Amino acid sequence: MAKQYDVLFRLLLLGDSGVGKTCLLCRFTDNEFHPSHISTIGVDFKMKTLKIDGIKVRIQIWDTAGQERYQTITKQYYRRAQGIFLVYDITSERSFQHIMKWASDVDEYAPEKIRKILVGNKSDEVDKRQVATEQGIKLANAYGMDFFETSAFTNHNITETFTRLAEQVLAANKKDLDLLRMSGNEEINLAALEEEEGLYERAASDESKGCWC
Amino acid sequence: RRQEDALGRHILHPRQGYLPANAERRESVLQRKRQEYFGFIQQYYDSRNDEHHQDTYRQIQIDIPRMSPESLVLQPKVTEIHIDIPRTNPLIPLFQQASVQEIFERILFIWAIRHPASGYVQGINDLVTPFFVVYVFEYIEEEVENFDVSSLQEEALRNIEADSFWCMSKLLDGIQDNYTFAQPGIQRKVKALEELVSRIDESVHRHMQQYEVEYLQFAFRWMNNLLMRELPLRCTIRLARQSEPGLSQAIWLPDTRGGEGPSITTEKEKRERHAEPEGFSHFHLYVCAAFLVRWRKEILEERDFQ
Repeated sequence: MAKQYDVLFRLLLLGDSGVGKTCLLCRFTDNEFHPSHISTIGVDFKMKTLKIDGIKVRIQIWDTAGQERYQTITKQYYRRAQGIFLVYDITSERSFQHIMKWASDVDEYAPEKIRKILVGNKSDEVDKRQVATEQGIKLANAYGMDFFETSAFTNHNITETFTRLAEQVLAANKKDLDLLRMSGNEEINLAALEEEEGLYERAASDESKGCWC
Repeated sequence: RRQEDALGRHILHPRQGYLPANAERRESVLQRKRQEYFGFIQQYYDSRNDEHHQDTYRQIQIDIPRMSPESLVLQPKVTEIHIDIPRTNPLIPLFQQASVQEIFERILFIWAIRHPASGYVQGINDLVTPFFVVYVFEYIEEEVENFDVSSLQEEALRNIEADSFWCMSKLLDGIQDNYTFAQPGIQRKVKALEELVSRIDESVHRHMQQYEVEYLQFAFRWMNNLLMRELPLRCTIRLARQSEPGLSQAIWLPDTRGGEGPSITTEKEKRERHAEPEGFSHFHLYVCAAFLVRWRKEILEERDFQ
């Protein structure tokens, strides 16, 4: 059986309720848009495989409920992620203010080398805009993150945003990857690698697992 | 036997054969509870934009317009296996009506501020739907698709609203810790499901362990929304009907637990249902476990849970 991917990792969508996290994800994975997507309960996920620098990257994207009550559940997923989207809604100043809180939660609960990207969604709603593009740029700079304004509705910057974070995660883990790629053609589960903390295993294969320390 | 319609109104029809006797007493209790509810509205509803309530009201307003069952139908994964269940949902226009959305907003806001330990949590909105729909459909003779809720007489609409509120309150009384900080009720129920499955279907349980599938990952929403998102509404209503006394008791006379509500139930009816104090919770748990057992073949064949 031909291998379906070279590397697997997990990305997490965070941000206030109603900013459009689920819509971003549906646009990216299925190229669909539902204007009023039902609220996410707990955590949901979707998969997509991208090709980056010739590497087949399978990304598992965890979509979270934005309401505060769910954070006990959603925080359990932070430590297993390699990349995080911090999403606000450009028509909601409040959702932008809360990015600071989301970012500090990530600092507290996520692995240190996690990559983050700032996303201002609903860029098509120009008449309702409350957060200027410059504010987004400034905040992203302060945190050392990349920044995109997106619209799940018009499909603006969606692929670009997901691809950029995937590239950054790949780059951040390049050393581990090179080591593993020399080892052959097995699929690599970056997510599992990090959890094993140095005990490198071949992932998701039915064959015996080898240690690559 | 009359054929069930798409909403199961003959499955759960509160006025048919369930509380026939003592109609006078029933009416007076209902009237009193309805007055009490609209008293709450008068007393509290204006505070929805006050500083300490505005977060609650904002969240409700975000969730209501997007709870159209159209998106329930679009839920992936689980619905895909229910090929034997009709996909068409006659309720879509109903939930797009402003008057319906306002009713839900009032019910949820009043419940939330009267239950500050949990407040409004996403998912609670789904729990109003079965009650509301059952009550609305008592008044409907014509085609569901064309039904305009605002064409109902004002009093009927008010009764529907108040009765839905009390039924939902009764249901939530037993499960409020699903929605308090850290959601201990859900954590406990997910553990109970895991423990139950490990006893009744060890191979399914071991399979999930082997592939590192955690119960919380798939069962959280089953517990949080009482399967409302996984099943068509008529099936949810049917399940509710089965779970005596928890829900069917709640469906009428919400404040007479241990009173005349259950006593009217015949012994035969009691035997046919799950007459336990924690009836609804237990029954719900068994249905969740039955899901896994019913699709055990598919689960056991699946190796890629990524």
